[in-house]
Amino acid sequence: MNLIDRVIAHPGRMVVPLMGFPGTQLTHSTIWQNEFNARMQFETIAALVDRFKPDAAFFMMDLAVEAGAIGLPVVFPQNESPTVKHHPVHTIADLDQFRAIDVLYDGRVRTYISVMEQMAAALDIIKGAYVIGPFTLAGLMMGATELAIATIERRDLVHAAATLATEVIIPYGQALVAAGADTVCILEPTATFISPHAFDEFSGHYVRQIFEALDTIGILHICGDTQHLIEPMCATGAQGLSLDAPLDFPAAIAQMPEDVVLIGNLDPVRVMTNGSPAEVRAATHKLLEDMAPYPNFILSTGCDLPPETPLDNIAAFMEAGRAT
Amino acid sequence: MDPILEAMREDVLDGDQESVEDNVQAALAADIPAGTILTEGLIAAMREVGELFEEGEYFVPEMLIAARAMKGGLQLLKPHLVAADVQPAGRIIAGTVQGDLHDIGKNLVCMMLEGAGFEIIDLGTDVPPEKFVEAAQHEQADIIAMSALLTTTMPNMKHVISALETAELRQSVKVIVGGAPVTQTFAESIGADGYAPDASRATALAQSLLGLA
Repeated sequence: MNLIDRVIAHPGRMVVPLMGFPGTQLTHSTIWQNEFNARMQFETIAALVDRFKPDAAFFMMDLAVEAGAIGLPVVFPQNESPTVKHHPVHTIADLDQFRAIDVLYDGRVRTYISVMEQMAAALDIIKGAYVIGPFTLAGLMMGATELAIATIERRDLVHAAATLATEVIIPYGQALVAAGADTVCILEPTATFISPHAFDEFSGHYVRQIFEALDTIGILHICGDTQHLIEPMCATGAQGLSLDAPLDFPAAIAQMPEDVVLIGNLDPVRVMTNGSPAEVRAATHKLLEDMAPYPNFILSTGCDLPPETPLDNIAAFMEAGRAT
Repeated sequence: MDPILEAMREDVLDGDQESVEDNVQAALAADIPAGTILTEGLIAAMREVGELFEEGEYFVPEMLIAARAMKGGLQLLKPHLVAADVQPAGRIIAGTVQGDLHDIGKNLVCMMLEGAGFEIIDLGTDVPPEKFVEAAQHEQADIIAMSALLTTTMPNMKHVISALETAELRQSVKVIVGGAPVTQTFAESIGADGYAPDASRATALAQSLLGLA
């Protein structure tokens, strides 16, 4: 069933906060433990589902899985998101080092596939997986500044890196679907800083290929202010767009076809982390009110919630979301 | 406007570093004062780049290559500016805070500030508070500009401000902050002097804090 049909068939609004990290408060674990141990991460996600009863659950957002799997140097702090430390790709020939690698043999890739298998076996809500976006993975290979400049001066290099990224992402995504993912969400934050035309050429083109290769509901998530990218994002074949707090949601959804679902966008830091439960409730009510005319909307947060997000605030968000 | 400076402006907008450098040489050969080349050529062009960004005509890649072209011209001009005793608009220490390796936002801010005539001391990424303090002591900077992309590293901005207070330097330097998760409210809560949502507005903020605009 398509995402739009699921959303329309659902009684009341679907409520799906993008949470993973705050679950470490429930399992008293570190982010590091969850990134390496599939059972640990499953327990964390299951604890969140049990506590907050969302309509869908994703595993943890981790933009370093595919990067690490192809051998980019990743730093793993105990309680923060991992980061790629160096960006070794400067020429097309530099990409050759990655070509023989089969990402499905990587330990952390296997961890996330196993998390999804456990989620599929135990949870009776929509199960979602994340994969990195092709332009974002190209950025981790090349460095964001070099990638940005290359979109103008070395387009062949960007295309070569994004093509290789796509070849890495597709088998991983297919394995996640085989493991039981009902939806795969492509995380493409680096695309926020390029023009609509450049998005179409360097990201959208490859995102479309990934969605076509995955037999599942495709969602595209880009953080930050993406007002200028809504049209090309819809052209990727995404069934849902998960967009961030800076966007004016009624204005955004007005630009979208009615069969594409808009997902978001309570501010994950200003409201969900730093606000009080009363402020969370007020902001949630306001968003629901603004989006009332639109059936193709899922109430969510603009981006992934930080680990320190107060659990009372997530409860307030769910409560306010359910009250409609 | 002098046709050489007009050509230089267009070269910056096109991101054509080689032509900018050629036109800086041509302007110097035509005895245009170095200060005039800077303000009416390079700075004027970067102001326009900032406007085009705010209008949604330019995006980060276009801004980066324009700033790089400007920087090429500025390098050639620097000895002449020193010889003519042209002072920078101000001296700014910039860096991404400890624990954070993201640099594109900080780089853009540095380039735009440089394009507005500021002197930049770029400390890079993952900069611990003591390094900001040390630089503030030795460089006699007017402003410290900090960037963070991660919500987990934002609190380190407060640690830098506290370290400046401990070193009794807080009164002598302005502190500005930015980065995707940073907001005006957050900036106020940690006692920063200002917040800018993007590189173009960081320039206006720095100018306003130093009474230049």
